[in-house]
Amino acid sequence: MNQWMTLFKKEMLEMSRNFKWIWVPLTFIMIAVKEPLTLYYMPQIIDSLGGLPEGAVIELPVPSAGEALAASLSQFNTFGVLIIVLITMGTIAGERKSGVAGLILVKPVSYAWFVTAKWASSMILIWISYFLSYFLSWYYVGVLFEFISFMDFLQSFFVNGIWLTLIVTVVILFNTFMKSPGAVGFISIGIIVILSILSSSLPHLLEWSPALLSAYANAFIMGSNLPDELLPSIIVSVIMITLSLLASIAIFKRRELA
Amino acid sequence: MPVVNIINIKKQFQDQEVIKGMDFQLSERKCIALLGANGAGKTTTLKMLAGLVKPDSGSIVFEGAEKADFRRLIGYLPQFPVFYEWMTGNEFLEYAGQLAGLPKSEAKDRAKELLELTGIAEAKNRRIGKYSGGMKQRLGIAQAIIHRPKLVMLDEPVSALDPFGRREVLELMDKLKKESAILFSTHILNDAEEICDEILFLHNGELVESGTLTGLRTKHQQAKIDLAFKENTLQYAEELSLLQPVSSMKLDGEYASFFVEDIEYARELFLTEIMQRNLPLVKFEISRTRLEDVFMKVVQK
Ligand SMILES: Nc1ncnc2c1ncn2[C@@H]1O[C@H](COP(=O)(O)OP(=O)(O)OP(=O)(O)O)[C@@H](O)[C@H]1O
Ligand SMILES: [Mg+2]
Repeated sequence: MNQWMTLFKKEMLEMSRNFKWIWVPLTFIMIAVKEPLTLYYMPQIIDSLGGLPEGAVIELPVPSAGEALAASLSQFNTFGVLIIVLITMGTIAGERKSGVAGLILVKPVSYAWFVTAKWASSMILIWISYFLSYFLSWYYVGVLFEFISFMDFLQSFFVNGIWLTLIVTVVILFNTFMKSPGAVGFISIGIIVILSILSSSLPHLLEWSPALLSAYANAFIMGSNLPDELLPSIIVSVIMITLSLLASIAIFKRRELA
Repeated sequence: MPVVNIINIKKQFQDQEVIKGMDFQLSERKCIALLGANGAGKTTTLKMLAGLVKPDSGSIVFEGAEKADFRRLIGYLPQFPVFYEWMTGNEFLEYAGQLAGLPKSEAKDRAKELLELTGIAEAKNRRIGKYSGGMKQRLGIAQAIIHRPKLVMLDEPVSALDPFGRREVLELMDKLKKESAILFSTHILNDAEEICDEILFLHNGELVESGTLTGLRTKHQQAKIDLAFKENTLQYAEELSLLQPVSSMKLDGEYASFFVEDIEYARELFLTEIMQRNLPLVKFEISRTRLEDVFMKVVQK
């Protein structure tokens, strides 16, 4: 466990040296908070851009608080996912590509510790950024529209967070058998996109799909009925996360590093 | 006592056979040089010993590795070491030491000691990204020996160093020999000659020759006599070469080189002949086989 802490501390130090602790939370906050703000100020924005032609009357439906927060949530599943893939795609592949992994792993380093320390540090960075940004978004929705129950917010936060966790884990998994961060990123995005499209176009076949978690997370803040598939899909996700992590370790052990 | 036993290892990359079956043993507190030309397979051999490349067949058995991770027993310096550029030299050494199993305080002490020993103490708080090539090489050596491994493997440890650095590192290796076995690769024969006990000649993925320095010298001893005359060197040389013990003769510009079996006998014979005929001798030199000659000889086989 001593060694795990050493590896973990190195990851945390690295993330602060290359300013990930600053730009990742900031970017998350920007993409999340932008949604309720633009929705609220849309009439003024249109006005300042020259306004509508004389006589034109467009009824802009005033969005509900739930819709405004849901808009933030959907940002996490587009830009948010992209950022997550970008910051994790090189975490192991990059070290192997540069050759530093060869120097580290000839030391008696546990492969399981190595992979899980990487995973844990990415998780912490992403969950904290995600919480801060989603919480701020929830707060702005409350101020500008109306406050959504904090419990509902928290539940949607955790349900969607499981999907984000699965993404981090899958990116780490690809890290263990590809040497190029670019390829890891490309394939991860590809898989996520395919899974999301399949799940939303064939929801009756793939109703337990983890990719639907974000849709299910919406249900909490929209006040709609919780789907029965919520629990199975959480369970499927947790199983997939665990299996991916175990597979990462097993694959990483067998890889030639040089 | 052997530290590691290498039994018939082979390695193929795509369809190129890079290591074609190799056997050797490394013993405690011995320094062994792995010699070979570019592309001979030195780096591949060291990587296999370090566990970074898996041999296709054959086995590598470390003494004491049944009980513990063999990586505890080895230290490795790659040919082109790469570090975390954002760390300082000191941070990296402490990190490497802790990963190798040293308690934090000991890792600190060892890092300090090795920074001094490798001569980069004054750069210890600078980012490694700003180190020069030679400084990285020294840091690489320091990280390889921080946990006092039984076997230290260094891939061309002095190639990137200036003459002073080379001297320092060779002296460091000489000291290191008292605690660990050292296996290092080089194509600089002088370095091998200077600090090694044993030499492995690698050529096209095969061990073409190996043994102790003196053993190899004796085995490949091929005494050479260089002769030059004031004039007609070619003619006189050809006449002399008719004398029995000459195994071959080579004309090299101004002088002729004779390779002979028995140097004492040949000297006697040549000198008597030259004196008797009163030939206009200007140069008579006996030179012994150097490692370089052995290298050339085994490689040409
Ligand atoms: N990863 C690899 N993939 C394909 N071929 C490789 C790989 N690594 C090495 N080789 C080939 O194996 C042969 C031996 O390479 P190696 O690096 O072991 O030589 P070397 O003795 O260390 O040479 P040098 O003195 O130049 O460092 C070369 O022909 C090289 O092209
Ligand atoms: Mg090499």
